[in-house]
Amino acid sequence: MLAAVLAILGPWIQTSAAQDGTIVFTPQWMAQAQFAGYYVAEAKGFYKDAGVDVRIEHPSATQPAMSRLRKNECQATTLQLCQAMEIVDGGIPLVNILQTSMNNGMVIVSARNRDPLTQTGAKVGIWSVGFGQLAICMSFQDKLDYEWIRFAQNMNLFVAGALDATLAMSYNEYYQLLQAGLDLPEEYVYRFCDHGYNVQEDGVYMTREYYREHPDQARRFAEASRRGWEWAAEHPEEALDIVMEYVDRDNIATNRVMQRLMLEEVLRLQVDRESRQREFRLRPDMVQKASHLMVENMMLGREITYEELIP
Amino acid sequence: MRRIIDYIRRKLSIRMSLWVVLFAAFIFITALSLMFFQAREAVSQEAVSRATQILDKTSLQVEGILNRVEVASTMTEWLVRQHPDNPDSMFVYSRGMLENNPEFYNCSIAFEPYYFKDRLYFSAYSKQDADTIRTIQGGNDTYQYFYMDWYLMAKLLDRPCWTEPYMDLDVPTGTSEMVSSYCKPIKDDDGNIVGVINTSLSLSWLSQTISAVKPYPNSYSIMTGRGGTYFVHPDPSKITRQTIFTQTLEHPDTAMVSLGHAMQRGEEGMKPMNLDGQECYVFYKPLGQTGCSMAIVCPKSDIFGSFDRLRRTIMAIVVVGLLLMLFLFIRFITRELSPLRQLAQEAETIASGKLDDELPDFQRVDEIGQLTRSFSNMQHSLVKYIDELKDTTAQKASMERDLHIASGIQMGMLPKDFPTGNDRDDVRIYASLTPAKDVGGDLFDFYFRDGKLFFCIGDVSGKGIPASLFMAVTRSVFRTVSAREDMPDRIMDSLNKTMADMNDTNMFVTLFIGALDLATGNMHYSNAGHDAPLLVGDGVGTLPCDPNIPVGFMPDWKYSLQHTRIYPGTAIFLFTDGLTEAEDASHNLFNRQRVTEVAKDVLARQEHEPRQFIARMTEAVHRFVGDADQSDDLTMMAIQFTNNASGQAS
Repeated sequence: MLAAVLAILGPWIQTSAAQDGTIVFTPQWMAQAQFAGYYVAEAKGFYKDAGVDVRIEHPSATQPAMSRLRKNECQATTLQLCQAMEIVDGGIPLVNILQTSMNNGMVIVSARNRDPLTQTGAKVGIWSVGFGQLAICMSFQDKLDYEWIRFAQNMNLFVAGALDATLAMSYNEYYQLLQAGLDLPEEYVYRFCDHGYNVQEDGVYMTREYYREHPDQARRFAEASRRGWEWAAEHPEEALDIVMEYVDRDNIATNRVMQRLMLEEVLRLQVDRESRQREFRLRPDMVQKASHLMVENMMLGREITYEELIP
Repeated sequence: MRRIIDYIRRKLSIRMSLWVVLFAAFIFITALSLMFFQAREAVSQEAVSRATQILDKTSLQVEGILNRVEVASTMTEWLVRQHPDNPDSMFVYSRGMLENNPEFYNCSIAFEPYYFKDRLYFSAYSKQDADTIRTIQGGNDTYQYFYMDWYLMAKLLDRPCWTEPYMDLDVPTGTSEMVSSYCKPIKDDDGNIVGVINTSLSLSWLSQTISAVKPYPNSYSIMTGRGGTYFVHPDPSKITRQTIFTQTLEHPDTAMVSLGHAMQRGEEGMKPMNLDGQECYVFYKPLGQTGCSMAIVCPKSDIFGSFDRLRRTIMAIVVVGLLLMLFLFIRFITRELSPLRQLAQEAETIASGKLDDELPDFQRVDEIGQLTRSFSNMQHSLVKYIDELKDTTAQKASMERDLHIASGIQMGMLPKDFPTGNDRDDVRIYASLTPAKDVGGDLFDFYFRDGKLFFCIGDVSGKGIPASLFMAVTRSVFRTVSAREDMPDRIMDSLNKTMADMNDTNMFVTLFIGALDLATGNMHYSNAGHDAPLLVGDGVGTLPCDPNIPVGFMPDWKYSLQHTRIYPGTAIFLFTDGLTEAEDASHNLFNRQRVTEVAKDVLARQEHEPRQFIARMTEAVHRFVGDADQSDDLTMMAIQFTNNASGQAS
């Protein structure tokens, strides 16, 4: 995985800003409520209020988010913390300018009513674009020896019975499975956050080089994005209206019910378990925990520190 | 409401009409319900049959083309396995697949990474492109086919299978098409999977075919995939975006979930549902082995629309008919019963006393005519009866007058002058007779002859006029016989013989005859079955009496004579059974014991002077009887011997 990411990113990273001073922001997935705060910030004019020109461009099948970043087609993207650490470890310094997630939302959903922890050697689905670092660590740690089956983007394999279990995001694929009519008893759903793997996920990253050249612009972009999220948390239905505009514009095969559930769950994951507040900060302890886990399981060549990630 | 009920209760015509109409309504409703039920079943069966035929036809169509895909894929796989080391031939095979089957959308023969040396991606991809077939190498960094469902599903399941329908984006042309792919694993000689043959079929034709299915004006069809996703739906916003379960996540709907699961399991059947507030029947059937299922949603209002219209029309006709029937019946019965009303008014007039009022002649031969005639007869009978009643009443008044006179005569026969202390110093007498009817059968008598007091008291069997006549005869014979006989037994014998001889009516009389020597106090007496008198003097005692039969039975009976001495101051209290058998309201008898107690009480108060004694006894018996009717004649006589010189005379 690390090699694959480096192969994609390494040689082609360019450190140039957008020519016209606009920040092109590319979320790592297609339009959905996972990025509601950014849509709100754009739609409600928060970016304009902050004096920063932002354009949201979603990735496509031929232009994934990381590809756009390395080609300097976008200046900011969202990454999960583990993904970002892999990239930094690969030699591309990144800066976390805004951390939205305070909790981990990854789950393992088991088919055929079995506890995932009892399914040693099971065929478990994992995203081909690489969101499953913690699951791989857990598989090593708990000696489950899962056979990872990389899939492109949906739950069809699992629904068709081709997998024993699958990784899913509690705000997305988990609800897709419910929407597919599956009954998912809680005892057969493994939530990483409840088993010592509560590592933060989504944050907004820029290359350190770009950040160094445009710190003020980056700060204003982060502030406006945060304002967008806070507004979304206070006005979830209006935020959902805005999300659905983006969803419809891109003709995404989803619906308002799924997006409402997703928004509720994403907002829930943004509240820190200890402080019970929406903190919007990277937690050093979580960075350290993720780094230790990944080094221990040889997914990082070295420890990545909190200081390496913050501005 | 109460007023309406009262009105109906007063109107026979309305009641009768209501009963008839209610009964008719019951018959109609029962018959129509049965008919509607049967008809509804037939309509329902017809709907099921129609929907099933459509589903079967569509399913057959689908299975036909699916079979061709599956057969073609099997043949291609055989060809691939003949030349597994020749990548170029794969392009020929994939192209050949589309050349031979123009209705197929595309075909990929894809291999595992690095199956061919140094080639991460190898996928011989052909696609129908207008009139030509475009064949290229399909895998690259942006399209890593070995992560795609169609590749992974066949590989993981290790068997051929159909993928969930998906939108296939053709990058060179920028067009997308909804397709489903048949994926068949390619295995080497060792049985290892080395690649997958993917043959896709555009579902546009299927979508159009299914969308066009419309057995009823407002019915529609849907198609769902393995995950419940809508691929055909009349609401375009739901296609590929929602599943059959989506709305149930926010608004639980067990019926919808049940339908979704049944369709996912590839079941065939029918379910009644409520969709968007509309009652519907949903008929569903799987589409071959694709994992997809098709359903036809038929609103009940469509299926039963004509039937419901017919039912409403019939019900309206029945209701209007019944109301009309009710109206006509009320009119008809009212008209038919109008003579009864007239008759009732006439009856009121007759009842008010106008007995000669003429009844109307309705000229009818039915029951009302009969009733009128019967009423007329009754009126005539009534007039006649009342005339007779007048006569009878007059006769009765005459009889009552006669009886009154007879009573006066009877009372006149009894002694009216009772000797008191002022009249005589040797005896005081008082008596009273209260008949139960106008005239009675009791008697008493006394008179003085030869220094003796002859007295009697009697009670004739029965009451009224016969008893009174018998009493009169008895009294007359007593006077006659006692005028020449001194001893009571002889008087009794003689009286008995006379009475028995002339007694054709078998009546009898209990009688006590006494003869008291007023000088000495010696008393001879004879008792013919009468209550023994009380002697009230120093104490209260009963005069001993021999048992003898009453007078009038046996002419030859010899009555015994008894004798006693009456001391001065002693009162002889004689009475009939009207005293001892006087009844109160509860039919309790006054009885002899009470008589004795009253006598003792009177004696204790020294009130046994005859008049006082009788008065006290009368008060006591009236108190006992209360408001109860007098059941028998009541006669009492008290004789107090007061000749203080009697001791010397004897």
